[in-house]
Amino acid sequence: MSIQSIESNYCGGHQTAQFKLLSEQQCEKIVGAALEILERTGVDINCEEALSLLKKAGCYVDGKRVRIPSHLIKWALNTAPSRIVLANRKGERKLFLEGHNSYFGAGPTCPNFIDAETGERRKARKQDVVNTAIVADKLPNIDFVMSLSMISDQTPELADVHEIHAMLQNTTKPLAGWAFNAEGMQDIIDMCTVVAGSLEELQRNPFIVLYSEPTSPLTHSEQALKKLLLTAENRIPVVYSPGMIIGGTAPVTLAGAVAVGVADNLTGLLLTQLKSEGAPFIGATQGGPMDMATMQHCYGSPECLLQQTISTDIYRYLKLPIWGTAGVTDSKVVDQQAAIDASIQILVGALSGAHLIHDVGFIDLGMTGSLEQMVMCDEIIGYVRRFIYGLEISDETLALDVVDQVGPGGNFLGTKHTFKNFKERVWKPSLFDRRSYDQWAADGCKTMGQRVHEKVKQILNEHKPEPLPEDVVKQLDAIVERAETRVKK
Amino acid sequence: MTNVKDSLAGQLTRSGRKIKNMEKKGARKKVSVQQVYNAVLEMDDELVVKAVKAEIDNGTDPSVILNEGLISAMDEIGKRFSEGTVFVPEMMMAAEAMKAGVAELKPLMQDIDTKSSGTIVIGTVKDDLHDIGKNLVAMMLESGGFNVIDLGVDVETEKFLEAAKDNNADIICMSALLTTTMPAMKEVVEAIKEAGLDFKTMVGGAPVTQEFADQIGATGYSADAPGAVEKARELIG
Ligand code: B1M
Repeated sequence: MSIQSIESNYCGGHQTAQFKLLSEQQCEKIVGAALEILERTGVDINCEEALSLLKKAGCYVDGKRVRIPSHLIKWALNTAPSRIVLANRKGERKLFLEGHNSYFGAGPTCPNFIDAETGERRKARKQDVVNTAIVADKLPNIDFVMSLSMISDQTPELADVHEIHAMLQNTTKPLAGWAFNAEGMQDIIDMCTVVAGSLEELQRNPFIVLYSEPTSPLTHSEQALKKLLLTAENRIPVVYSPGMIIGGTAPVTLAGAVAVGVADNLTGLLLTQLKSEGAPFIGATQGGPMDMATMQHCYGSPECLLQQTISTDIYRYLKLPIWGTAGVTDSKVVDQQAAIDASIQILVGALSGAHLIHDVGFIDLGMTGSLEQMVMCDEIIGYVRRFIYGLEISDETLALDVVDQVGPGGNFLGTKHTFKNFKERVWKPSLFDRRSYDQWAADGCKTMGQRVHEKVKQILNEHKPEPLPEDVVKQLDAIVERAETRVKK
Repeated sequence: MTNVKDSLAGQLTRSGRKIKNMEKKGARKKVSVQQVYNAVLEMDDELVVKAVKAEIDNGTDPSVILNEGLISAMDEIGKRFSEGTVFVPEMMMAAEAMKAGVAELKPLMQDIDTKSSGTIVIGTVKDDLHDIGKNLVAMMLESGGFNVIDLGVDVETEKFLEAAKDNNADIICMSALLTTTMPAMKEVVEAIKEAGLDFKTMVGGAPVTQEFADQIGATGYSADAPGAVEKARELIG
């Protein structure tokens, strides 16, 4: 297995790098707080079907305020699968959301995009989603694809549908999709069903994760719940992630913030299980601190890292697959700040072992998508993966025979042992400069930023993702047409 | 190894002290109701109430207490916020303290009511549920002396108009965080025109720009919450 595609922990006979912040008791304490929030304060549920499901199950319903007894959450945690396997577009099982395996992918819904040609920041277009899919398809360390965009050159209320239409045709990697509402989400499920061949095939080997979101604190909109219930009905894996602003929509203290986030997320879990027992659900809470001077939600912050780490520990404790965030910067360009942010986040994310780590390629506080940021992160992920892989301690790796054969004063370069192992054991960068000064100068004194830029262009020029069969594309087009007719009414 | 917790706590208190010292040094405007003004800057509601009561007992004109004491202190807080020496939670504490003072003045307020800077209805536009920014703007407008009617989230065009009519509002304030919900702002602006009404409009939210505001014919735009107060004052004139 090459280092490039290694998962963060192969629980075999070797030592990988892992990190945990909370003890089991501390996880229990925060989960206990979340359960107390659900029993004492409750959540607002703005959807008839969800209200009646909760009521029937034995929740205390007072208007739209619902208080959830702890035993129901316990039940839901038992019925939801503790592992999910995502396939690629061809139905091959690729991402195993279990153990400490970490997979990285882009994020959704940036209104702006950095133009791949001109470097200009402008509104996102459908072509940007095509480009994101092509570049992600090529990059060895990007494992799943999101659009990095909320496009505005198509019918605006169908941005979600058009984006999946573009992604399905330009990558075979697993996707994560967002939607404005249940109608758009149904279109997305229909498109994926066409590609899979049948809904059953899609359920058996899902290549898409869908995304919905409560409004923290403790509010669940009609749109969000309808989307959530639709995913459960179709048994497609769903991420139901509160986007907290710590100090704004959640307590400024991390323990309380995560407790509120977990309470909202587990409300979603319960609903999926009531709708369809065993429906796949991915645990998530997300959130950065509010910068109290600019009022911005900050991704590039130690608190955001802590939030992610705590969340990961808790969902591992709860035995749910885990959603995470990394590769994001608040910087407006792919600069030193961006590289610092991305490096720390990717390292911490992989160390703590969230399964699907998204938002790789966000810059500008998540307001702009950047292929350059994604390409730079690909390199960082490779670097980190090699580190996480750690070492194996065996006769082969201790290599005592080779040491004896080389002896004092010799060298290991010419040995079979080196020849056999160096490719797997030593990470080979694709963008880092390791040449002599003169060689570097003769090649134009290029910075990391310039090399990243060139790589983006090269991939866009050269990479041709595997196409879908023509008749499948026609059916996808027809689903988009159907959606267009629906919204024009 | 030094104890990280201790040294971090040390840093925090050090910088905390620094802020306090700065504040002490920071020039305080000389006003006739200095105690009231200072108490708002201290962000201490009990102190504000005490100071306001004392001024009332002294027979000070309630409108002076309000304008020179409470509102002008909040203006100073807003200014310090823009300069980056006061932060949002402090601003909110100051606003709470100011409100406590206003409550003391309420019984004497018949004539003050008419002196409120103006009436504003505010909400996030149809289909937009992002309300954190809107809440901050509403809070700032309120502490800027405006009568604010908050319509919440996902507000239909007609509801904006109705509420503005019912409350005899000066400005309709709209917030949007999604590019897809921004067109709803245009709808409101046009509906006002069509109905032959003369409400002013102000728009804001992360993706909204001055350019967009001009394009849809909104009368005002602000990039942030303190700016919204200034803009509202300018619009009402
Ligand atoms: C009247 O005059 C004025 C004047 C000034 C005004 C004003 C009015 N209103 C605001 N201002 C100004 O003053 C304020 C203070 O200075 C400022 O207010 P802001 O509101 O800009 O700033 C706030 C203080 C802090 N900022 C925020 O509150 C927004 C933060 C981010 C992270 C965000 C959050 C938190 C949420 N979200 Co959403 N969310 C994002 C945001 C990404 C980001 N980096 O900004 C954004 C805005 N969201 C987005 C999206 C797409 C969505 N969100 C959605 C949902 C949510 C949550 C519910 C999870 C949560 C909201 C919680 C809540 N109670 O509000 C969904 C839509 C829900 C809906 N129908 O509205 C959903 C569609 C996601 C989905 N389907 O998967 C993106 C928008 C893309 C676009 N512009 O088209 C987004 C940029 C994130 C991203 N990169 O994808 C100024 O703009």
